[in-house]
Amino acid sequence: MSKKILLETRDLSVAFDDKLALDRVNIALAENEVLGIVGETGAGKSLLARSLIGLLPPGAERTNGDVWSDDRALSTMSPAELRNLRGGVVSLIGTNAKALLDPVQPVGEQVATVLRSHRRLSHRAARQAAVELFRQVGITDPESRATAYPHQLSGGMAQRIVIAMALVAGPKVILADDATLGLDATIQVQVLDLLVERCRTEGLGTLIITHDLGIVSQYCDRVAIMKDGQIVEQSDVSAFLAGPQTTYGQELLKAAKVRPTLIKSDSNGDAPQSEAKSGPLLQIRDMVKHFRGRDGGVVKAVDEISIEIGRGETLALVGESGSGKTTAGQCIVRLLEIDRGEIVFDGTEIGNLPASEFRAMRKRIQMVFQEPYVALNPRWRVEDLISEPLSLDETVRSAADRRSRVLEMLEAVRLPKALAKVFPHELTAGEQKRVGMARALATRPDFVVFDEPTTALDIRVRAQIIDLIRTLQREMGLSALFITHDLNSVRSLAHRVAVMRYGKIVETGDTSTIFEQPGHDYTRMLLNAELPIERAAEKDLIAAV
Amino acid sequence: MSAVMTPDETPNTDLSATSDLGRFLVRHPAALIGLSLLILQILAIIFAPVLSTHDPMQANALRSLQPPSWENWLGTDVSGMDIYSRIIYATRINLLISVTAVGAAFIVGVPIGLLVGYYRGWASNLTMRVFDFVQSFPVFVMGMALVSVMGQEIWNVAIALGVLFTPVFARLIRAEALSLRERSFIAAAKCSGATDIKILFRHILPNALSPAIVQISISIGMAILLTAGLSFIGAGVRMPTPEWGLMVSTGSQQMILGIWWVSFFPGLAIILSVLSFALIADAARDFIDPRRAR
Repeated sequence: MSKKILLETRDLSVAFDDKLALDRVNIALAENEVLGIVGETGAGKSLLARSLIGLLPPGAERTNGDVWSDDRALSTMSPAELRNLRGGVVSLIGTNAKALLDPVQPVGEQVATVLRSHRRLSHRAARQAAVELFRQVGITDPESRATAYPHQLSGGMAQRIVIAMALVAGPKVILADDATLGLDATIQVQVLDLLVERCRTEGLGTLIITHDLGIVSQYCDRVAIMKDGQIVEQSDVSAFLAGPQTTYGQELLKAAKVRPTLIKSDSNGDAPQSEAKSGPLLQIRDMVKHFRGRDGGVVKAVDEISIEIGRGETLALVGESGSGKTTAGQCIVRLLEIDRGEIVFDGTEIGNLPASEFRAMRKRIQMVFQEPYVALNPRWRVEDLISEPLSLDETVRSAADRRSRVLEMLEAVRLPKALAKVFPHELTAGEQKRVGMARALATRPDFVVFDEPTTALDIRVRAQIIDLIRTLQREMGLSALFITHDLNSVRSLAHRVAVMRYGKIVETGDTSTIFEQPGHDYTRMLLNAELPIERAAEKDLIAAV
Repeated sequence: MSAVMTPDETPNTDLSATSDLGRFLVRHPAALIGLSLLILQILAIIFAPVLSTHDPMQANALRSLQPPSWENWLGTDVSGMDIYSRIIYATRINLLISVTAVGAAFIVGVPIGLLVGYYRGWASNLTMRVFDFVQSFPVFVMGMALVSVMGQEIWNVAIALGVLFTPVFARLIRAEALSLRERSFIAAAKCSGATDIKILFRHILPNALSPAIVQISISIGMAILLTAGLSFIGAGVRMPTPEWGLMVSTGSQQMILGIWWVSFFPGLAIILSVLSFALIADAARDFIDPRRAR
């Protein structure tokens, strides 16, 4: 390939104080090419992105090599040339688009301002050009959207506008640093489709920085794997998917792949034990939870949903943010009071029990919370955190009992005993998640609500957590409600799936049925937004044939 | 390095290590100055009888308005009382009033703030409106009103200041509690069957306390100023009690005649005392701040 190299690093090293954060990095981005950089938290991906535009964070220093653009080294450029490079030659699109936009200016004005700083345009012409740009990035009704303020836009819309701004000055290279982090899967696909398509039609070089191998397999030509500040592997995406050269690459790929599907009860010992008591463990009938909105309207967060969960069974509740799935979970554990309907747990109606009577049931119904760090009191030690719910368990009374239960739980979630004495901030995200699970399981509950157990985790950690949940379910015979938007983990964890949208359940069924023959349009839309690496591999296979 | 916060970036909030404090002081000279000044004041309080050269309340008409000399280090006032000895003894009165007032405000304000922040309802709203009412008056006018109703005793000054400062602490704690109650570790505690009392005092309070602890120092500084100010305008403690503001007040008429020492030295004492608490407050803010690097 004799494509022109637009931006490259040659033996680039960057250090914080004496700690090497980037270690002799060599990457080259050619025109009309999409390069993916994948790595886990702390691998140095974002630092690399900032190095590429000559904007090192305070405390960081280039110790070796350089970044080259058009046969010029960045370190030899004057401040004016660097300014021209940023935006003019290389545009950076970051995470959280709303934070990148000025909150007190209509977005159309903001784009017009950028336009005017790069081209000679009148106010009016710049505003029209901005509207035209909005149209190009697929914003419906661009005229009225141009007068909107950032807070009036959705996350996906704001990200489109940031992309529009990045394209304004006709750059040659686009750097997308986790640009779709935190967006719903359906929106993520739309934004990435747009970004990559625009870059391809204009022949730009695109660098996509992500921790999601699905994105790489779907959109990138080449991939570079980063670990501890080094590029450990670099190859064509199809070659990488066919077989990574390094063990780290293999580990990542294996972790990102779907775990074999759970098989339902009767075939093996994976799920329910003997159905000693007949009937489902949890039955929700016509549950309703409304909130009063700020404008006086009613938000129907949960609108007459009915669910059944059998003993030892896992039901996944999937949907996009705002579909009401977390609210539903919180109603079941009585963090929120339901407005109407009933929740029957093991033959007892618990949805309308007085709080004092429900306390007796708490021991059997627990919840694992979403954000691993925020769900742990920062001033408590791990052992105190895990033993907190033991006050519900009358069989555990003495300090020695509590202590042994804590150790037992640490072992169950595969954490070393030494961690009992540490504070949450001394743990990694994966360990914090495990502590949260140990706390929920401490009273040996029959039923656990897992709220987004796999989001915001690195690929390998995510795979470990999925494996752990499966093991725990088998060992403890748990029933579970698994709230998530990560369809990949649903395949690995759930027996059945319920799809939720706008507070209603639109479809319920066995996991395999839902994934293979989705009945509802919305389910199909969710499935289409998924970026499993298997599909990319299939695509290549088909192309090869 | 991605935008997701990793646990290693959420550093330590542990305040216990004393060597940590030592290192902190070395790196923050202002904190060291504040702490030294505070220690000086504490020494003055404990050893006032030893440190003083005269009886602080002994008038001596023959030695009225003497300039600083070997006999009277910082001079004498109109009644011939030794200014140096009075300043030393006044430390007791001023700090006693301020610390008592702020301590009481802290002890009363913190639980109120906690309750008002955690439970929302008409009682919370009513409490906040009462605080609005107390705080909407100029502090000084309110202080004067309270003292004049209750009488010009030392304890009444302390009580008046305590009433003034209670809403400050309550508001600070309330603001923290309002955001903490929405955090998911509170929800997790509820799932663990924690009672409201436990949630309030073991989960919310320890996490809400930092700004209030910083405020203690700031408020003590303010209380010293207010005590002095009330005395200066005649609404605080009365002669011959040694009190800095009162001393400044008695000397103020002579300033114009060039007799500067009567007001100057107690004024300096006020400045240094307030400064010491301001510096400590500043340092405490940095020290407690969880973002502070180890």
